[in-house]
Amino acid sequence: MKKFFRENGVLLLIAAVLLSVLITLCGNLFGTKIDPLGNILNTLATPVRGGINAVAGWVEGVYDYIFRYEQMDDELTQLRRRVAQMEDELRQARYESQENKRLRQLLELREKRRDFVFESARISARGSRGWDDTLTLSKGSNCGIAAGDCVISETGVLVGVVSQVGLNWATVDTVLSPNTELGGQTVRTGLAGILSGELDLLQEGLLKLGYLPLDHGLIKGDQVITSGRSGAYPADLVVGTVTETGTDEAGLSGYALIRPAVRLDKLSQVFVIKEFDIVE
Amino acid sequence: MARQDWIHKWLCYAGALLPVWWLDAYILTRFPVFGITPLLLPVAVTAVAVLEGVSGGAGFGLATGLLWATAYAGGAGGRVLLLTLVGMFVGALARYALARSLTGCMICSAGALTALLTVRGVADLFFMRASLWQLLRVAVPQLIWSLVWTPLVYGVFYRVYQRVGGDKLV
Repeated sequence: MKKFFRENGVLLLIAAVLLSVLITLCGNLFGTKIDPLGNILNTLATPVRGGINAVAGWVEGVYDYIFRYEQMDDELTQLRRRVAQMEDELRQARYESQENKRLRQLLELREKRRDFVFESARISARGSRGWDDTLTLSKGSNCGIAAGDCVISETGVLVGVVSQVGLNWATVDTVLSPNTELGGQTVRTGLAGILSGELDLLQEGLLKLGYLPLDHGLIKGDQVITSGRSGAYPADLVVGTVTETGTDEAGLSGYALIRPAVRLDKLSQVFVIKEFDIVE
Repeated sequence: MARQDWIHKWLCYAGALLPVWWLDAYILTRFPVFGITPLLLPVAVTAVAVLEGVSGGAGFGLATGLLWATAYAGGAGGRVLLLTLVGMFVGALARYALARSLTGCMICSAGALTALLTVRGVADLFFMRASLWQLLRVAVPQLIWSLVWTPLVYGVFYRVYQRVGGDKLV
């Protein structure tokens, strides 16, 4: 046995142990920032990733055009109907917003003011591996993106949170990822809970709003937004809608399953919120 | 084998690893099947270990483990050691017990992937991140889906082996 290992790469085994320890130490040392070797590898791979992304996007487009024309046509009709409906809702919302403003002024309440500083970025790779759900962005620390920044879609819906940042790339844990955990609350009832991804919900494209009171009274279709109570993430970002409710195994608290308001697999461009202020 | 030939051979293997890496990291992740994408890097290590034996397998495992640990999101240092061990044990199996063939590679890949997914699963169970049933629902399809890709990965590295593998450059 000893001879076998002497002849067959005991030095390699030692090197592997040392490298494992070194990388683990680097991981702990650099925290959410990636280690230098990983940064170099990912930076060098950026053009390849971009190229593959462009080709794959084009192939997807051609495939969609050839094989899903009818489906796309139906989708377009539905979207037109939806746009008309949303325009109607927008008109209603504008009216209510103005009314709200008047009421606030009337009550001399100070308005909440949020100043978001955005950075737009393209999605250059997707990392749905069954264990987690990540997106790789085309911009990184050179554009001021930092770990912990919230990422939203063009409609202002929460996509995820930046988990790792390299020079010209960043990795985002989507809202579905089991690594994601942030405060959320429902619009209708104002109940707050913890939004988190779970392994078994990942494949169904759902996340969980946990730690709710047993008599939460949530119903299917209730909208969920970020609470921003910790101050770490902005408040009032739309996350999704309730699809199902239940009670946890211990029977001490309730939960709701949330379907994200954004189709994560269809995103091509996102916006990173680099700075935000909440003035209460 | 001269040093120059040795470097030439392993550069060829590294070159063959590039499309496998890109396929694994950037292409297949866009098209998950039931939310699952295959693990091609451990399969690549197994294929090279079957063809090149213990030392070659361990060395290639170390290099691939380094890539896996550093270039992928959430990479852990333990991946370097795991893939080195996979290369070493598969190399030994191929040398003493199994034939240098696709069948041998498939058997070794199944074993290696089972071991890697078990390590991952045990860690998740230990830290209570998921239940056994949840882990099996991810791990079993991932194992099967990775094995489906094994012939292609083995084919890529077998092509390299036919040209520069073993002692052909001596």
